[in-house]
Amino acid sequence: MSVSRVLVANRGEIAVRIIRACRRLGMETVAAVSVADRDSLAAQMADRVVCIGPPRSADSYLKAETLVAAALGSGCDALHPGYGFLSERAELAQACANHKITFVGPTADNITRIGDKLQARKIAAASGVPTVPGSDHAKNVQEALSLADRVGYPILLKASAGGGGRGIKLVSNASEMQSTFPTAAAEARAAFGDDTLYMERYIENARHIEVQVLGDMLGNVVHLAERDCSLQRRHQKIIEEAPAYVLSKTLRGKICKAATDLARTIGYQNAGTVEFIFDNDTQEFFFLEMNTRIQVEHPVTEMITGVDLVVQQLLIARGQALSFQQSDIQFKGHAIECRINAESPQHGFQPCPGQITAWETPDGAGVRVDSHCYGGYVVPPYYDSLLAKLVVHGADRSDAVARTRHALAAFHIQGIDTGIPFLQTVIDDPEYRSGKINTRWLEKRLEQYAATVAA
Amino acid sequence: MELTEDDVLHILKLIDESKFDYFQLEVGDLKITVSKGDPIPIASASPQVPVSQTPSSGAPAAGKPAASAPQKEPPKAAPSVAEGLVPVTAPLLGTFYVAPEPGAPPFVQVGSAVTEDTTVGLIEVMKVFNSVRANVRGVIAEVVAQNGQFVEYGQTLFLVRP
Repeated sequence: MSVSRVLVANRGEIAVRIIRACRRLGMETVAAVSVADRDSLAAQMADRVVCIGPPRSADSYLKAETLVAAALGSGCDALHPGYGFLSERAELAQACANHKITFVGPTADNITRIGDKLQARKIAAASGVPTVPGSDHAKNVQEALSLADRVGYPILLKASAGGGGRGIKLVSNASEMQSTFPTAAAEARAAFGDDTLYMERYIENARHIEVQVLGDMLGNVVHLAERDCSLQRRHQKIIEEAPAYVLSKTLRGKICKAATDLARTIGYQNAGTVEFIFDNDTQEFFFLEMNTRIQVEHPVTEMITGVDLVVQQLLIARGQALSFQQSDIQFKGHAIECRINAESPQHGFQPCPGQITAWETPDGAGVRVDSHCYGGYVVPPYYDSLLAKLVVHGADRSDAVARTRHALAAFHIQGIDTGIPFLQTVIDDPEYRSGKINTRWLEKRLEQYAATVAA
Repeated sequence: MELTEDDVLHILKLIDESKFDYFQLEVGDLKITVSKGDPIPIASASPQVPVSQTPSSGAPAAGKPAASAPQKEPPKAAPSVAEGLVPVTAPLLGTFYVAPEPGAPPFVQVGSAVTEDTTVGLIEVMKVFNSVRANVRGVIAEVVAQNGQFVEYGQTLFLVRP
């Protein structure tokens, strides 16, 4: 299982992050880029660059066969898929395996077994991990109506092939179910090629808590504590923190054990995240889904553990045993990540591509910026709007919040609009500071912000 | 093993006088790759093969590890396209073939007349062969890419005089 030259099958900040980790281990890198990313920071940093296709991701970053051909043609023995794009497609992991290329991630079997959301619920239940009260596959509207009566409204109608916040509809009553079910099925078919839908009870006062796990090829599995990712806009995370400060010591122990139990059940290899929904009112947690890749928000975990997760991914892929046990992992302080997106909070968060004319990042103790941007860089319109992740570590949560506040103020980006002004109002919000938030809090805060901006 | 500048010059001289197109030497950590003009064919399937075509590889590459020399310059449409020539570029990444099957005559050669729809080569990705069309009417002036070469998206394969 040699990993000496890695094809970086992704773009943006994660491509840069992967190249750094490879360098640390003395591995060579080949950046697979679309035409739009020929001059990207990752392309400048990589030992080599291979252009895989036109800008549209469907013609480049989403073509598994092209990526494998690029790896073979450039003499790579490994491929890192990053996050998004093809990172959670079993077909890419399988194509790599077929061509003796080490896939830096879980096995195709891991991805297939846990990637289907409905099947994942069954595996979780079988491994003693609590799941949200809900239903099995609802085949048609009639079945959906009778299943929903048993689960109880409001419910979430979910696409089994969905994930990452996509393919989810909130249904409040039976008449809404009548109209929503057919469109949800059609959307799921169009987006994921699979119209299987199921239901989960909607928990109104909830937090999104997830547990980072690492598993090696020898069956060792450890957790690296939890992250609280409750601050979301349209199911996309905006601010993430580690650890999940709302949990008691007992609950923390239970949720982390649930995550490692699940990972062990499926013989999980490499880095993964087990997502839970936490009911603020009943203090119960339920399994949501497992993400079989490195996550955008992995740096907050790195800040409190000192473990470089991407380096661990590469070492595990190389066949090495984890060099530490659960008891060796120490959790220190509190970390907060703010996603800085190219979007205009003053204009309904419209995406805002274009040229960055000035780029000045904050620094100092406990401040880290993961980014692929620089002054003069043109943010292409073809991809997601993430520009940078501001990650701040403090002795405790209030210290981390205070440092984040200063870091946001010292982050200067000119030429395009970014979400920084809105992030600043969130960090200053007394409710946020006291931690009295849930998964719907940010949306409400956003409405207030929109009203203020309009006034 | 230490290699002095004189040793390298000596190797270059030997290669230059020989009929070999390229030469690759590996002794422990030391790797040296030398090529005459043309890029090293991908057929050597060695991980040291440069990915993209070097625009002007007149100067032989030598170093440690030789071909790990970063290949950052994107292959522009053509390094020095003579006045009026139109490049035919790779419509996708893969392995380029000049003929429909090994041993068969090439689709086109220098001097062949082509129209927009003329198939000028094949690009193979994962055992699937895709034909490359000229997309221009004219006469092949130069065959730039080599048979069996790994080409990236947009790389120049032929030059056509319209």
